[in-house]
Amino acid sequence: MKDPDELAWTRWCANAEKHPDKEAIVHWVAGEEPYRWTFANLISAAESLTVSLIESGIKKGDVCAIIMRHNKNFYPLYLAIDNAGAIPAILAYPNPRLHPDKFRQGIEGMSQRSGLDWIFTERELEPAITPLIEKEHSTIKGLHFPLEWHIDRAVEKEIRKTMIDFHNSTNASHPLLLQHSSGTTGLQKPVLLSNRAVIQHAEYYGEAIGLNDNDKIVSWLPLYHDMGLIAAFHVPLVFGIPVIQLDTFEWVLVPSLLLQAISNEHGTISWLPNFAYNLMADKIRDEDLEGISLESWRMIINCSEPVRYDSHLKFIQKFLPYGLNPASLSTCYAMAETTFAVTQTPPNVPPSVLSVDRLELSKGKARVTTSGSNYRMCVSSGKTIRGCQVKILDNERNPVEDGTIGELVIHSDSMFDGYRNYPEKTAEVLLDGWYYSGDYGFKHGDDFYIIGRKKDIIIVAGNNIYPEDIEDALSKVDGITPGRVVAFGEEDNEMGSEQISVIAETHVSAEPEQKKLRLEIVKAGMAIDVTIGKVYLVPPRWLIKSSAGKPSRKANKERIVDASGSTKRSVDDIG
Amino acid sequence: MISDELKGVILTVLQLDEWEIGEETVTAQIPGWDSLTHVKVIVAVEKHFHVRFKTTEIVRLKNVGDLQRLVDVKSQIHG
Repeated sequence: MKDPDELAWTRWCANAEKHPDKEAIVHWVAGEEPYRWTFANLISAAESLTVSLIESGIKKGDVCAIIMRHNKNFYPLYLAIDNAGAIPAILAYPNPRLHPDKFRQGIEGMSQRSGLDWIFTERELEPAITPLIEKEHSTIKGLHFPLEWHIDRAVEKEIRKTMIDFHNSTNASHPLLLQHSSGTTGLQKPVLLSNRAVIQHAEYYGEAIGLNDNDKIVSWLPLYHDMGLIAAFHVPLVFGIPVIQLDTFEWVLVPSLLLQAISNEHGTISWLPNFAYNLMADKIRDEDLEGISLESWRMIINCSEPVRYDSHLKFIQKFLPYGLNPASLSTCYAMAETTFAVTQTPPNVPPSVLSVDRLELSKGKARVTTSGSNYRMCVSSGKTIRGCQVKILDNERNPVEDGTIGELVIHSDSMFDGYRNYPEKTAEVLLDGWYYSGDYGFKHGDDFYIIGRKKDIIIVAGNNIYPEDIEDALSKVDGITPGRVVAFGEEDNEMGSEQISVIAETHVSAEPEQKKLRLEIVKAGMAIDVTIGKVYLVPPRWLIKSSAGKPSRKANKERIVDASGSTKRSVDDIG
Repeated sequence: MISDELKGVILTVLQLDEWEIGEETVTAQIPGWDSLTHVKVIVAVEKHFHVRFKTTEIVRLKNVGDLQRLVDVKSQIHG
């Protein structure tokens, strides 16, 4: 790190001084001319918004949640919050299917845990959020609508002095941002990252991917997710290179938008969760690719979900005729707790792939095989980046040999300081400076392979979903025995991700009533913004209990999958 | 009004036997119609009606009524 005491704001301003007219953020909206923020304009707008923030009473250290849709003025607002000494925390804008009460519960839970001080949002959410502020013991002091603020206000002498005083009295250990782990409505884990952690990480990670002045990042990733926020927002801002930001919702409706942006803007690097490879390879039609060139795309980094070999193959096959370089496909293993990346494959080198015996794998050994039909193709997530160390430990927390499956335990120079206001959760995962990831994998040579998770978290399209949230919601559905429902992830080969399946005990046995009940279950999922792919209805006392007396997700998943066949996709019932 | 034909295509993709779908119905109100299945529905509608939608037309759809009108306009052009 060049200057260990450097603040992110100082770095952004230095970039603006060095190349004021260089594009910083290109804001894409389908069917419109992109809005192009230069580094100088971005800083100028951020300073202007800082004036409004200071006038609104925002103080150093205040946590400022931002809940906004894709908007060009989001970026200077985020920077302004930092300039005012406050801490930005981006939260997902509620999906229309999410029930307003559930949305409020989520915000309330976060505010109690993270101590949210202010909410910056759009006027449309005012009726949903206001009751929270009026509630007794609410930590939230106020609601602001920054899209109605001017971004060209002059910075008066007095206000500039306040900004300078803040920077002079602050060091790089000051928090730069607060991220929340994914989840649905349960309490999320708030990860606080310092200026130093983020800048240092950007430098180390930039080195691992050979980031240079000619790079242009293109991203549709949501900025409330670490991959979007760190890799596709903070890293380019630190390096002074452009990023093209697409609307997540537009991309998922029209996946070819990413390729249009790569082609038009000569983009060089993108990060994608595994499902995106399948979605783009399967759903983009050749007619939508007329005139598209992907030759500039030098790194497409698969991260946030287990990497699937077949997804890479079909992606290469589909886009090779459009100039895709197969060696541009890369992989990364990352998490919010270490700021972002832990391992990464080098540029222009395809990730190593091992064919591993499945039977041996289930016994905890990764034995490479060249014969037989029962094997799994494991894709490497690369080597540790600078500043990171990884150990693989068994259940007794002893190191295991290469090729043996264990939990990945990480030490990083860019490690978080613990979950904010959550010492008990911090103590579970952070021990003597090592982070216990809960992910299972093995080492082969210098490469790390991630193969699964210790916890029951379901990863759907890069989002972590906690089964408890689904089970709680479904237990309230009429016809289901309360507490007798389990939710788990089932491999969805078509999507290249997981889908959510549930097993629920019920007395309802007649087919028409069961149909109605299945629909009610899917609707209950919708109310917490979760799409349930499969519903298995089972008779009372069908579910196997764990030693703790609760229905076991793992045992019941195995039982139901064995009983019904794992490749079935339609809504089903058993028993 | 939403035609039985369009409704049938939507219900088939979403594996639903029956669901009330009107002009103002939005995707979030229909079980299984989320952002990831949206592409599937659009592709199925295009295939069934032998029409093609532009990117901007897809992202501007606000409800099923918009989709019906788009199908009607495109079908007339191609018919």
